[in-house]
Amino acid sequence: MIPNDRYQRHSLIDWFSQDDVRGARIGVVGAGAVGNEVLKCLALLGVGALDIFDLDRVEVHNLTRSVLFRESDIGRNKAECAAERVRELDPSIAVTAHVGDFFRVLDFDRLQDYAAIICCVDNFEARIRLNLICKLWRVNFINTGVDSRNAVVDTFPFALNPEAGCYECALPPSVYQRLSQRYSCGGLKRIAFVEKRIPTTVITASLAGSLAASRALRLGPGAPDQNAGRIFVDSITGSSTRTELPQRADCPVCSQLKAPVRIARVDRLQAALENLADAEVTLPEPLILSFKCKSCGRGDGHDTPLFWRASDHDSRLTDCAGCGAEGAVDIEIKDRIPAQTLALIGDRPLPLPFVATGSETGTRVFVLRWES
Amino acid sequence: MADVKFIVRTADQTRKAEVEMDRTSIGSDIIQAAVDNWALPADTDYALVNVTTGKSLVPMQLLDENFVKPGDVLEVQPVLVAGGW
Repeated sequence: MIPNDRYQRHSLIDWFSQDDVRGARIGVVGAGAVGNEVLKCLALLGVGALDIFDLDRVEVHNLTRSVLFRESDIGRNKAECAAERVRELDPSIAVTAHVGDFFRVLDFDRLQDYAAIICCVDNFEARIRLNLICKLWRVNFINTGVDSRNAVVDTFPFALNPEAGCYECALPPSVYQRLSQRYSCGGLKRIAFVEKRIPTTVITASLAGSLAASRALRLGPGAPDQNAGRIFVDSITGSSTRTELPQRADCPVCSQLKAPVRIARVDRLQAALENLADAEVTLPEPLILSFKCKSCGRGDGHDTPLFWRASDHDSRLTDCAGCGAEGAVDIEIKDRIPAQTLALIGDRPLPLPFVATGSETGTRVFVLRWES
Repeated sequence: MADVKFIVRTADQTRKAEVEMDRTSIGSDIIQAAVDNWALPADTDYALVNVTTGKSLVPMQLLDENFVKPGDVLEVQPVLVAGGW
């Protein structure tokens, strides 16, 4: 039961609609420093429902930037811990913790229930995936990023404007070059790669979090700004810039997957692909199709593709399990394949939640029954 | 093609210069020049925005009159990837 006067101060603000805020369901991916600040703001504002996604556990160094975590929480899952604290802040909020990689635990049937999904992760790969999902499902997408000095909040109002620029429209090529350094064979994580970590403080996290919460709640019907945009704030000087992010003709997402998007749930992918002939299918993450050792010839997948998820493997796969030759195995990894090749999946389950195929006239998305 | 004269600065505004470049130059030329001349961290990705017009410039964008006018201020901003792990 909500005490009637909990939102009394909000009711005094002439432009603030508590009913609209109460009616919003927001997805928050990442419950680290920025995620904590986003959740704090949305909880105190009295949002209706929150879904929190995180796979990490609370560590002691998180405590300097995470308002929802305590020393006694060390070792607990961040999503579960944050959800518990949100309930303490406002017991009337319907909050759910989703433990695991959002890509594996997201309910694709409920995506369009979200007023917005706020991305508070710390890597490009997750942002790229979440951007693709939000673009295809027409869910408003808010991206956040911080360093020790600056905060950035990108708004992609896909629900309002399917032609809005997307996160990859604004991504410089150097990011892809940097990502490729992290991988070998175009998709296997390098076992010896040391990830650079960017230190941050709660100052930039709170700037990003509060701006992101504000942006997420201003994307309802009739929102004045229907184009993608970026707010960049320097926490030391207080200066900020607001920039429009237009759609880019050569964007890897927007150039391939055009509106309108038709989404269908399928039980058998092979049957769904029958009418697609030679269409190219976009995979939301790379798959290993085949491998062969240059030294001994041992291999697999050349007649019937393997369809292994590349993220389940690392660069050790290039060492031959047969003859022991290091780095001798050629691995075929793809994130776009012809429909006929994908149809070779037969009755086997594809380890992906969906695939998409685009043409000049629109995009078709096939959501698969899939268990992680 | 004619040159265009404009201002380039870093996001923290500690570095600022008036530069003149050919209209056939592209956004990434400006970013690279800023990284090299101002010794900006090379392990960071950068985006370029025209703060006068409020538009971002994609790296392969030519500096034509639709995107950069004489006297415009272009800002080199880091692409922020951390979420506060």
